Amino acid sequence: MNTQTQKLKPYALMALMLAFTIACKKDKENIDTEKPTIDLSAATAFPKQCSPIKRGSSFTFHAKLSDNVALGSYSIDVHHNFDHHSHSTEVEECTLEPLKKPVKPFVLVKSVNIPGQPQQYDAQLQIDVPADIDPGNYHFMIQVTDQSGWSTQRGISVRIVE
Amino acid sequence: MNRRTVFTLLLTYSMLHSAFAQEKAVKNIGLREVYVEGKRYKHAAEGVLSVDVLSSDSIQKYQAGSLMQTLSRLPGVNAIGIGASQSKPQIRGLGFNRVATVENGIKHEGQQWGLDHGLEIDQYSIGTAEIIKGAGSFMYGSDAIGGVIRLSPPAELQGNGLKGIVNLLTKSNNATYGGSLQLQGRKGNWVFGGGVTHLDYADYRVPTDTVYVYNYAVRLKDRQVRNTAGRETSFQLRGGYNSERFSSIVYLSNYHTRIGFFANAHGLEPRGVNTALYDQSDRDILYPSQQVNHFKLINRNYIVQGNHKIWVDLGYQRNYRQEFNNYTAHGYMPPVYPQDMNTPIHLERRYDKEIVNITLKDQFTLGNHRLTVGGNAEYQHNKIAGWSFLIPSYKQQALGAFIHDQYPINDQTMLYGALRYDYSHIHTSPYQDWFASMLENNQSVHVVRADELRRSFNSLVWSLGVTRQIGSWETKLNVGKSFRVPIAQELAANGVNYHYFSYEKGNASLSPEQSYQADFSLARRSRNIYLAFTPFFNYFANYIYLNPTSGYDQYYGAGNQIFEYAESKVRRYGAELKMEYRPLTHWKVELLGEYVRSEQLSGSKKGYTLPFSPAPSLLVDLSWFPKNSTHFQEPYISLDCKWTTGQDHIVPPEEKTAGYQVFNFRAGTQLTWGKSALQLRLQVQNMFNTKYMDHTSFYRLISLPEQGRNIVLSVGIPFGKENPS
Repeated sequence: MNTQTQKLKPYALMALMLAFTIACKKDKENIDTEKPTIDLSAATAFPKQCSPIKRGSSFTFHAKLSDNVALGSYSIDVHHNFDHHSHSTEVEECTLEPLKKPVKPFVLVKSVNIPGQPQQYDAQLQIDVPADIDPGNYHFMIQVTDQSGWSTQRGISVRIVE
Repeated sequence: MNRRTVFTLLLTYSMLHSAFAQEKAVKNIGLREVYVEGKRYKHAAEGVLSVDVLSSDSIQKYQAGSLMQTLSRLPGVNAIGIGASQSKPQIRGLGFNRVATVENGIKHEGQQWGLDHGLEIDQYSIGTAEIIKGAGSFMYGSDAIGGVIRLSPPAELQGNGLKGIVNLLTKSNNATYGGSLQLQGRKGNWVFGGGVTHLDYADYRVPTDTVYVYNYAVRLKDRQVRNTAGRETSFQLRGGYNSERFSSIVYLSNYHTRIGFFANAHGLEPRGVNTALYDQSDRDILYPSQQVNHFKLINRNYIVQGNHKIWVDLGYQRNYRQEFNNYTAHGYMPPVYPQDMNTPIHLERRYDKEIVNITLKDQFTLGNHRLTVGGNAEYQHNKIAGWSFLIPSYKQQALGAFIHDQYPINDQTMLYGALRYDYSHIHTSPYQDWFASMLENNQSVHVVRADELRRSFNSLVWSLGVTRQIGSWETKLNVGKSFRVPIAQELAANGVNYHYFSYEKGNASLSPEQSYQADFSLARRSRNIYLAFTPFFNYFANYIYLNPTSGYDQYYGAGNQIFEYAESKVRRYGAELKMEYRPLTHWKVELLGEYVRSEQLSGSKKGYTLPFSPAPSLLVDLSWFPKNSTHFQEPYISLDCKWTTGQDHIVPPEEKTAGYQVFNFRAGTQLTWGKSALQLRLQVQNMFNTKYMDHTSFYRLISLPEQGRNIVLSVGIPFGKENPS
């Protein structure tokens, strides 16, 4: 080994050690990497997968929302599935009516800020279903965020009946 | 292409006289396939940065589904894959508009911001690919903040003649059939060349029967990712005059692709599809799909005048991109697509972008100083159409001027310095929804999605570096400041991306990204070993980032989660390691490692990483080069094993990704018969059909595994001849 290489060796070693120190440094801050959850398992939760909903009536959306740190807000979106094109996020599949063209489908978009940044929230929201909308297969989309911006979606298939 | 045609072609060309033998002398399969070449850049500004060079031979040898997937074998280079055949470049964890791709001296401009927009370049047309890691802002301006991918056509012939190569290829995983013809010729000082490539492939296969989008189980027929088939056709032509003192070459090319997207989830939204229709053929392209055409006309010139070498590059590009989908009424969109719409019912989005560039450069020496003074001007016009809105139409002008100096202190030490000034102006057009939304107080309003916006940006960046040869060690250090001008989407987006349940809001007050970086390189080359270690450190004073907030917007965002463009301080560091070792004449061991870590230091995502952070990986390759024999020239057999660790550093809406290990096998030889030669290459990618997910893949979010086992077979048939000059 020539002298120049020997001279360089400590520098190379230092560079390597520096790199490893940087690479192995443990993260000090605790970062939230958990998504919030939407729980529809309670007996009072509504709607559930394949629930029927009567048009011209009111019902209460009811779900248990939770997060490991702090909840943000939730959003409800109801849209038709007459074309069978969009799908729910659920395991169970519901019976679909034949394909049809929408005439006056029910559309609902509603966002709610969850007050007080809680870890648990019992979401309840009254929804009126007009009497003149198209009955049939619908999607009931529930979304929830936490304060870090993590979000969870649940797409529930429901059926609006006459 | 049926089997008989293939064989006929094979026979025809194998009869032709071959010029392959002459190439052999220069080609040195093995040690120099992937290398950081010090001497190559001795007189160039990038000499102070870490540059990887890949020849067309290596691109062929390692060829994956798309150019960036091929290049991603290099440490520090990753691909944001969109299925099996499209990908976006990523260097040291930065991608999208933070990496500039430069072809024939002109920056390639498409819609780089799009998650599912691949790089519109034919990998079979490339002669040399150079990857400049570290900021290349001082050379290429905005967008080169994370690095540069520089592509050049094959080197012109030195002697008179006409020669070329026909490549036929097939891939088992997605039943790809393809071919490419590359041709080049020279008569005196007149040179010309060209190529044509066509690829046709079916839906690709993954090692799973079922994909779970949330809890919704999507069954895959024959383990094929529904509707990911595609076709790609491209051609290149070039010609002109070339001598030592003067050169003027015109490059004309067109790239066209049509490719389907996974039908059950394009983004995060699960979609039920008519499986009878979608599964009747694995080669048809239904909805959703994209069609892209990229046209380029470039003229590169240089003239040597005494001490000066003056370059003038002119470029015109048109990127025409259409995204097709079934009309789905989301939010307040009318349930039935109105008949009086001018936009076709299946046209979700269209982007039509025209770009004109001019680059001037004068290289000269002044005493011991090697100076380069230059400037460039660019004009972009982006027009939008379709029933879905994400970014507005815009016009953009940019001007830049730079000076670069290279000064040798002694035989071993070289100093580099650069200064660059940029000015740019963007003018975005207003956009109003074609349908009415319900706003506060039950008002029904056609929402104004984008206001007219005019912004101007100025940036002054610099770079200082030194290279020093210490014995057999080559050391490099470069520090500098670089910038990136915010793009139209970051300034003026105001649309709902239903595929991601996101309402994306631009921020008109963003300033250009400022980044400071230090790049080191330590390399040693000896008789049988090559070693390179390239650590880097980078600090962004204001990294522009699409931040998912905790809010929903009931009115303008149709109930979707608000994603806002915001700025945060970011620290990034990492390193690449590369080693090639020849313990014996016919054996080579290669070690390629990469590590990058990013952390946001401010803003609402303080402590989080950046999106699409590649996981650390280590690739070990063992190659055997058996002795040449009469009929088998330059044979090789190699086995790659790549370990990738899990990625736990994530940011919403990402998921943690588990580590994995993938094996690739390669073999090839030149089959010679008298004066004819055939280049045969075989690859078995993902040998054990491992089910794994790539953290930087577009389909990662819906937990779609990467492509399963893929056997790639290609036959190169050289023809023509070149007279020694």
